Amino acid sequence: MVAYYPTMDEVFRALADASRRALLDRLHARNGQTLSELCDGLAMTRQAVTKHLGILEAANLVTTLRHGREKLHYLNPVPIHQIGERWIRKFERNKLTALSELKRQLEKRDE
Amino acid sequence: MNINKFKPAIVYTIYIAATPEKVWQALTSAEFSRQYFSGFAIEADLKIGGAFIARAPDGSVHISGEVIECDPPRKLTVTWNVNWPALVEKLGPTLVTYEIELSGEVVKLTMLQSHDRAISDDILSGGRQGWPAILSSLKSVLETGQPLAIKMAPPQRMLDALEAMGIGTP
Repeated sequence: MVAYYPTMDEVFRALADASRRALLDRLHARNGQTLSELCDGLAMTRQAVTKHLGILEAANLVTTLRHGREKLHYLNPVPIHQIGERWIRKFERNKLTALSELKRQLEKRDE
Repeated sequence: MNINKFKPAIVYTIYIAATPEKVWQALTSAEFSRQYFSGFAIEADLKIGGAFIARAPDGSVHISGEVIECDPPRKLTVTWNVNWPALVEKLGPTLVTYEIELSGEVVKLTMLQSHDRAISDDILSGGRQGWPAILSSLKSVLETGQPLAIKMAPPQRMLDALEAMGIGTP
């Protein structure tokens, strides 16, 4: 059997799609949703959502879990963390956090 | 304890090029945990009801718990209670589960943090920030022999939220 290991290419390909990022946003807002909950209010067919979730799961960006009779979807940020670790130096981290916070605070006024 | 009442709030998965036995050892021994978990020593009495603790580098017990499920090298569930004053009374117990599966020639490690009640995002930010760093560093230790140089500290929003609930923080 061939070792199955999601590659960084798969992570970037999975992220290179606005619909899939929207699904990750929904899980980020509320983790552990069923397929029906994820489809609710989306302008996507259930089949399309299923397909996107499959790609996200294959890239290890989503982990699924059986909870009773339900299949729950969880955002798995570990691959994104690994991308960060690859290119962010440890002494840059505090500065980047400060910059992100500044941007967030300044842009909040326009909301 | 009825673990069916608990629902996972955080679920993280990482693939590691190692054997299930090696991953199990890394999760349950002080020798490994000190390398990837900020110098903390995991001391586990690996039987149901056995003690599970994480000892800080200064010797104090930071996390204390009990082994709930133990199926080496596949599944370990423990209570994972941070010893900050009033934390367990206010937030209830925290359950941590590790599931180790073989995926081809590598290991798929899934970590679940579960609670028996709703926990705010501010408080969950601690686990959301901490676990990816711990798991990435564990992977690095097993694959390269070297931990990642990540400085870990509890997020301010979590400390503020705990303080607002009357939970003591360092």
